Amino acid sequence: MEIIIEEISRGQKLLGRHKFNKNSISIGRGYHSDIILSDPHVCAEHLSIEFDGENWRVVDLNSINGCFLGEGKKPANGHIIHSGDVVTIGKSQIRIVFPHHPVVDSITLSPFENLINLTKQPLVLTINVVIFALLTGWMFFLNNPKEVNFTQLFVPAVGITLMFAIWPAAVALVSHLTKHDARVFTQLGICFVFYNLSWVIDFLEALVNFNTSSQSFMPHLIIVLPIALAFCLFWLNCHIGFHMSKVRRVVVAASLTTLLFGGTFLIQLSKKPEFSVRPQFNSTLLTPNFMLAPSNNVDEFIENSNDLFKHVQATKNKDE
Amino acid sequence: MKGLIGLFLILVSQISVAVEQAETIFKQLAPSLYQIRLIDKASGEKSSIGSGFQISSDGLIATNYHVISSFARHPEKYRIEYLDNKGNKALLTLKSIDVINDLALVKREVDGEMPFFEISQSIPVKGEELYSLGNPHDLGMIVVPGTYNGLKKESFNDRIHFTGSVNSGMSGGPVVNKDTQVVGVNVATSGNQIGFLVPHDKLLALISQYQQGDLLTIDEQMESQLLANQKELVETLLKSDWQLKKLGEGLIPTIDVPFIRCWGESNADKDDALIMLAVANCSLDENTYIASNFFTGSLEMEYRFMQAKKLTDTKFYQLFQRQIARVMPGNKAGKDDVSEFECQHDIIMPEHQKINNKAVFCTRAYKGFSDLYDVIYLGVSIDRHDQALLSHFTFAGISQKSAQAFTKKFMESVSWK
Repeated sequence: MEIIIEEISRGQKLLGRHKFNKNSISIGRGYHSDIILSDPHVCAEHLSIEFDGENWRVVDLNSINGCFLGEGKKPANGHIIHSGDVVTIGKSQIRIVFPHHPVVDSITLSPFENLINLTKQPLVLTINVVIFALLTGWMFFLNNPKEVNFTQLFVPAVGITLMFAIWPAAVALVSHLTKHDARVFTQLGICFVFYNLSWVIDFLEALVNFNTSSQSFMPHLIIVLPIALAFCLFWLNCHIGFHMSKVRRVVVAASLTTLLFGGTFLIQLSKKPEFSVRPQFNSTLLTPNFMLAPSNNVDEFIENSNDLFKHVQATKNKDE
Repeated sequence: MKGLIGLFLILVSQISVAVEQAETIFKQLAPSLYQIRLIDKASGEKSSIGSGFQISSDGLIATNYHVISSFARHPEKYRIEYLDNKGNKALLTLKSIDVINDLALVKREVDGEMPFFEISQSIPVKGEELYSLGNPHDLGMIVVPGTYNGLKKESFNDRIHFTGSVNSGMSGGPVVNKDTQVVGVNVATSGNQIGFLVPHDKLLALISQYQQGDLLTIDEQMESQLLANQKELVETLLKSDWQLKKLGEGLIPTIDVPFIRCWGESNADKDDALIMLAVANCSLDENTYIASNFFTGSLEMEYRFMQAKKLTDTKFYQLFQRQIARVMPGNKAGKDDVSEFECQHDIIMPEHQKINNKAVFCTRAYKGFSDLYDVIYLGVSIDRHDQALLSHFTFAGISQKSAQAFTKKFMESVSWK
């Protein structure tokens, strides 16, 4: 009679899988056992699994620490085995499956898979990292009111690039530790593509903020873009690094996105003084080339300020 | 030689005459002079002191508003007391204020008719000898002789320029002429030997208003005075000549009134600067004191012309953006006095179409007063690649209508050459 016995870790990870075609299987630390466990809490001859012509049963061979069903305290001795049962032996666990045990549906290969694999190509990866470093250096250059030399830009650009490489490296490490394929270059490739996309979105945000007035709702809409981008990145990180169900992947990606933006928001909120003397306004400026919107006239601007005064008055009345 | 000695003798005798005069004046007037002290009820100690002088037989005393401002703002926290020349102390009640001219009327209980200061009906002549009385640094009542130098020109609300040492603590004390008639009230100092006085006519106006039975509360008085003053100020400004002056390639308005003064600065001497910068700054150097840290009535206008020298448009505008994000209001009002600023912004091209600006307008409301606001305007040109013109003003304590009228005029006045 065929039977499959899986050694599993406490975290339900598969450590080894054995298929037998006989009616008695011995499990223990002794080298004569069919399945040899190295757990010191397991006896040399711990238990055997016997087929009586109709059912498989667990037979405890008077082991010191006994064997139990699942995580519980119910002794497994004499238990009639059903496919998928888990038996705890010492500090180890085994799962017993019969050949007809159902398996989950196969996952279709993602159509992005080729695209994802493209990002790990050495040339593509290098180009992306270099673009990111150049843009970072350029931002430093733009924001520096004094003349700067190459080294002054090179050091922060490389530093920040390395810092941003920590995230994909960490994800790869976690997937390696959880017995998944690390795929470190794929993670790096995907992350730097998304980092560069976030520069593009930054620019789009600036363009919208520069071209719209405070009456416009566009700046509020565009806030969604970086959030969506972060969600996609986390989703892909999960997709590349871990085998998990679709729902789980969405939940993990959504949680990470919430953590990132919610955390940033909370930090800002905690730093906000009780009363701010400084006016907060949109100060985005781009060069005249990016001025696409038509101008308003002075009268309209003054007219609009009526609403502002009304609003300020309402806030004041609420405070008093 | 004889002549010289004679001259010397004459000089000495004149000095002693002045001293004698000061002495008689002090003796005569001492019973009507008071130290005004604000006592913090919780601690029982004085939190601020100033001077005051009796102006009627029934116990009406004039002082500065800023001496008793804490009481006017928080009557539950303080009480006002006087200390007379004999060391007697008693309570005072606040009757009326003129926040614009920094005057207040308080009243003491009297048993019978009391001597008081007579208020002059005429303006002193330039160079006339005056005597300022008061209580500087809690040292006891003193007399400081000085000279009348006319009204301060650079002032929207009249102030007498007095050459003599007006020290802190003398605030609210009277300034009298030789006939012991009050011609002004000590109010401020601007360093050595330069003092400022509120002219006596302001005091006369306040007294007559009080005697007619002004029924407004102190807060209502303050509100109506602030509103009336800002209205008059903005009307004067809008009526005046707005002269366009060159600043780099830009044209900026300066208002041709004596109480708004302009200053300039540039970095033309710095060859290595990335941006050539010229700054012009015009302001109304006048504040209305409402409470410590809460001044109002000020106007500041600032213009900056910038020319990129050795840098790209992108960097020029990026640096410019960092600069404009640092705008601050002119006064340091706090949470109890004002709401937080709220802003609007848009791309604005005035009718003459010579400039295209990113315009930002922010305002906050005064708590406890209706229709008084601080406003900030910021205009940034965005139509030239390597040049930019920044126009900015902050106006404290004006009404919505005044703010809008002033902003409109200001926005329409700035342009490229």
